Amino acid sequence: MKRLWGHSLEFQLAVRLAALYIAATLIIVAALVYQAYSTAGSLSDMDLRRRAVDLARLVKIGEGAKPQLELPAKLARAYQSPEQTFLFVVRDAKGHVIASATPEIRDAVSAWPAADDEPSYFRLEQFGPTEQNYHGLSMRADSQAGALSVTVARATDETELVHTVLREFVTDVAWTIPLIVLATLVIGVLAIRGGLEPIRKISSQAASINPANLSVRLPEDNLPSEIHPLVEAMNRVLDRLEKGFAAQRQFTANAAHELRTPLAVIAAALDGMEGNGQLAKLRLDVARMGRLVEQLLRVARLDAIALDVSAVVNLSAIVTEVVGYMAPIAVAQGVSLAAQGVDQPSYVKGNRFAMEDALRNLVENALMHTRPGTEVIVAGSSEGAVSVADRGPGVPPEDRDHLFERFWRARDARGSGAGLGLAIVREIMKAHKGSVSVEDNPGGGTVFTLHFPKTETAPLSA
Amino acid sequence: MRVLLIEDEPRLVELLEAALSRAGFAVDAVGTCSEGQAAISLSPYDAVILDLSLPDGDGLSVLKATRASGNRVPILILTARDAVEDRVLGLDSGADDYLVKPFATAELVARIKALLRRPGGALGIVLQAGNVTLDTIGRDVKVGSVSIAPARREVAILEHLMRRAGRVVPKAVLEEKLYGMDEELDSNAIPVHIHHLRRKLLEAGATAEIHTVRGIGYLLCESER
Repeated sequence: MKRLWGHSLEFQLAVRLAALYIAATLIIVAALVYQAYSTAGSLSDMDLRRRAVDLARLVKIGEGAKPQLELPAKLARAYQSPEQTFLFVVRDAKGHVIASATPEIRDAVSAWPAADDEPSYFRLEQFGPTEQNYHGLSMRADSQAGALSVTVARATDETELVHTVLREFVTDVAWTIPLIVLATLVIGVLAIRGGLEPIRKISSQAASINPANLSVRLPEDNLPSEIHPLVEAMNRVLDRLEKGFAAQRQFTANAAHELRTPLAVIAAALDGMEGNGQLAKLRLDVARMGRLVEQLLRVARLDAIALDVSAVVNLSAIVTEVVGYMAPIAVAQGVSLAAQGVDQPSYVKGNRFAMEDALRNLVENALMHTRPGTEVIVAGSSEGAVSVADRGPGVPPEDRDHLFERFWRARDARGSGAGLGLAIVREIMKAHKGSVSVEDNPGGGTVFTLHFPKTETAPLSA
Repeated sequence: MRVLLIEDEPRLVELLEAALSRAGFAVDAVGTCSEGQAAISLSPYDAVILDLSLPDGDGLSVLKATRASGNRVPILILTARDAVEDRVLGLDSGADDYLVKPFATAELVARIKALLRRPGGALGIVLQAGNVTLDTIGRDVKVGSVSIAPARREVAILEHLMRRAGRVVPKAVLEEKLYGMDEELDSNAIPVHIHHLRRKLLEAGATAEIHTVRGIGYLLCESER
């Protein structure tokens, strides 16, 4: 829960929205209820006042010039019901009781002062034989007998009006309120989701940016104005990043290229000298530097150019080509090279030159490590794989992951490589959506295998 | 043997002249298209090394003009970028081989020699590898000063391997060259010939060896001494 709150804008907005709706609903309902009661209250007051006025009007001068209350039968019934819902006391200006509903109310009210201009309200608790609560008013009303002080009271338990209203309200309307709240809540949440959709889309697009895919830019059209500055800033950062990478690659490529010529000069100059063992060592050192420079260039080129791997290539032809090319070098090192499995063509999708490069690197590696007098076997398979097997010391399992890192060399590394060859192989295989693996060679040594994704069908023409 | 070098970069000219003369060539060096064209038409060279980027024009024009005049001298072109298009264009226009700059001078020398070993080339009549010489006209093979007498077919194989010394010759190519299409070919025929050839060379103390590249073919190399 805490995690959701902290990390989800949607969740926060939805919860706040829900809280708002619920609070609003509660307030409205409370207001309505209060208003109902209040209205009922004033309705009740109006009713009492009307009764008081009516009662006053019903006072007539009777026998002996004394004021008398003449209640019509209907009213008499209402005022004299055993429930004692309505009580009244009518007094003259001097406070003498002219008429009353019950002796108890007469006794209670006669002690009160006469009503004045403003009606006064009162409450009675547990009053009379019925022990009900009453609320009532006393007011001055005109009559034939002059100004009278009329007191009318009504039992409060009988606030039927309000209860009826409320009950009607609850049964008819109130049950719809939660539904409406739910509906508006759902609409609200959906609206929030919809509103945040551009952010989600941008996020997934941003996730696809990686060093191999730096040219992606987030779309800046149709964005909410709140995110637009952010996305724009992001795109500018990507611009700078891409330029930075390009500059770095360019630098590496330029540096390597510039190094080639002086190295060629030194190598040639050494060639021209007569010499002893030291000279031979110098030549080897220069050759090693030359190889490193070539590999640096190759790596820089691989980084910079998206390799076109769409051509259909015959793996068997590549094996034949590379073995043919490397055989003299192997012989010069006292090692022999053999090709296997090249009788049938084997087609995969790729870039011929890059594939040759990768295989050549593996063979160079094998030639460097295999024992003198042994044979390095390059084998093609019909499954789109090419393997290079040597009879060298083998690769310990703990080194196998590091093998393909740039500039990584084993602890007791032999040979004059700089550790770039295998890294180049891995980059090339990655560009081909393939892989390179290393295993033990049964009988001693190592087998490196290039795995190319197989094409579905062979081409119609070779 | 005379080689014409058409190259304008002075340092490179220096290097190549030195390497080529060490290898036994006499080198003439010029620096522009027009000089190059003049030199080719004036004297016969055994090979021409032509840089494609020259100050007064595209080296390709020299190439085309030379071929157009019927001159079949072996030409090796030097290109500064390894763009495939340049390569293909050069070869299509009549060049015999190419090298991408910068290159190892040893590589250049090896390629020039290979060009010259073609039939009719300066090194193509009497082939040499180590202390083995093969007279392609007289069809005899000498190791040092001793004549060895391989069978006719073995001489043919040896000639082929010597012309492409230092490079692998596919078995299929040897079979094709030695046997016509109608003849029945035993797949063991070539290996047997090679075996005999090896033995004879070994016994005579040759300083060139035939190596088997299993699955591809054969390779003749000068032995390390």
